[in-house]
Amino acid sequence: MSDLKVRAVDDALFIEIQRFLYLEAGLLDRREYAGWLALLAQDIRYRVSAAVARDAGVEPVSYAIIDEGLTGLKSRIDQISNPRLTRAENPPSMTRRIVSNIEAYHSQKQDEFDVVSYLLAYRSRPSIPEGGFYVAMRHDLLRRGASGWQLLSRSVHLDQTMIFDGALSTLL
Amino acid sequence: MSSQPGSLPNTPWVDVQRGLVSRDIFVSDDIYRLEMLRIFDRNWIFLAHETEIAKPGDFVSRTMGQAPVVVVRDTDGRVHAFLNSCRHRGARICRADSGNARHFVCPYHGWTYERSGRLMTTTFDRHLPQNFDFSQFGLAHVPRLETHKGLIFGSWNTDVGPLSDYLGDISWYIDPFLSRSPGSMEVLAPPHRWRAKSNWKVGALNFVGDSQHILTTHIGPLTLDPVRAARAGFATAAENSFQVVTDQGHGCTLTYLAPGLPDDAYQTHPRDIEPLYRQTLNGDQLKLLDRLRVIVGTIFPNLSFIETQVGPGQKAVIIRQWQPVSGTEMEVLSWVLAEKEASQEYKDTVLRNGFHNFGAAGVFEQDDLELWASATFASNNAIAKQFPYSFHTALPYIDKPEKDHRWPGRAFKPADTEVAQLEFMRQWDRCMRSNQ
Repeated sequence: MSDLKVRAVDDALFIEIQRFLYLEAGLLDRREYAGWLALLAQDIRYRVSAAVARDAGVEPVSYAIIDEGLTGLKSRIDQISNPRLTRAENPPSMTRRIVSNIEAYHSQKQDEFDVVSYLLAYRSRPSIPEGGFYVAMRHDLLRRGASGWQLLSRSVHLDQTMIFDGALSTLL
Repeated sequence: MSSQPGSLPNTPWVDVQRGLVSRDIFVSDDIYRLEMLRIFDRNWIFLAHETEIAKPGDFVSRTMGQAPVVVVRDTDGRVHAFLNSCRHRGARICRADSGNARHFVCPYHGWTYERSGRLMTTTFDRHLPQNFDFSQFGLAHVPRLETHKGLIFGSWNTDVGPLSDYLGDISWYIDPFLSRSPGSMEVLAPPHRWRAKSNWKVGALNFVGDSQHILTTHIGPLTLDPVRAARAGFATAAENSFQVVTDQGHGCTLTYLAPGLPDDAYQTHPRDIEPLYRQTLNGDQLKLLDRLRVIVGTIFPNLSFIETQVGPGQKAVIIRQWQPVSGTEMEVLSWVLAEKEASQEYKDTVLRNGFHNFGAAGVFEQDDLELWASATFASNNAIAKQFPYSFHTALPYIDKPEKDHRWPGRAFKPADTEVAQLEFMRQWDRCMRSNQ
């Protein structure tokens, strides 16, 4: 914990990081995918996992439901952003990503930051108009470069043992 | 079709002659409850893959029909399955999805069971009557349990025939995917799980032989996938593609690569593992795999499988269970398998690419699920129920199996008709009408 205190970013940096997270959540909510992709590092690793219910005290187990780099993400986005190529996202889902509980730390590398955030993502679509939630803890690695902030990796840990409303067709 | 206002038309569940199937059976909770008794409590139901419980004490929690079940490997290595409910007052003795247990202690009052299900102590043994018979109060065993090529099946029906008879001719087609190297196949990760607002039979039918939905539902991944997109004509099925139907209502569709593709397209299986197949499979089964683009099928009632190319020389074998939750909802479980002998790098790649396509966030799955939910929504009303679903493209073919088919089961060509689906519904109807 003492290490975390030392590594915690100052307020100015914290606000920059918070801005970045809000910006990219907004881009995804508005389906501005080109803008979102522009925030990703070329070698990004993007991972979403769900949990296996295990007894207390036993090593936790999760299973990845998305685990890919830029090519895989682009292919998903090419699908869900093209009305002719998607059924799940045409008409589009309505989504709202609420990002909170941000913690930001200097990583071992200059200008790279470990960032934890909580995500509450609401999604409603025509077949399930009452909507549903994805609730997750995200662990991101961000880099501050000459051209602005970039997402180097994201690991989304869903607090769910299953996906409740069909297959996930959006990004978290 | 007309009906009295306020009354439901008396349409048959399954009308094979006319190629019509009632919508009601895809939405009704009454039918769902009857299915539990007449299908899920009587037939062989898939429980787990052996490699999920490799070590003594390993267990997984599963569901047979509506009944929660624990599948566990005991101290001697034998597999048991029992109702996940204490014989005392019914609490679940296992509330985790998976784990390893020395023994099972009921958290309610402390009844304690061995891995084999035998009751060890009630913790208040001193108050039991003298004649209390511990052997009669072990966990309720699934009375029939058998394994086929790593797949563990159970049945609540003590009179059910042997699993090998139940699987019948379909085993000849699934064995080349379940066990094709000396080490056999292993499950690569815990199953993906997701809920779908759709009846379980919709999934079973989609896999048993529904080539007609592929180009419409899945136009996205078919257009974008680099493997497929790079190869013109990849989605065109060769003429030797066919459907198989067995006497038990199982079925599958085998789609072969059309001629004229780039040579490397025909290297569908991993180059370094493929030689092992020759040690395990017979000549005809090897031939079955040759130039096979995809096999997809269903073992009645709710276990499906698919082997599909997920990269050059990469084949993901996926097994899939459609677990009923109600008339209008199911839980799907989905496992990715690979040959035990494969490198860790290959396994990781196949797992990742396998669930990229078919999984809880699968690029194929997401569009299926949306359309299944929409069909369920639109069919679940009295007006819609006047208009049964059409299975008409089965009719010109269903009585004409291929005469010169040399492999087990009845084969039907072309591969893109609804024969296997209508045969699945015929078997469903047979089970549902049987009072035995």
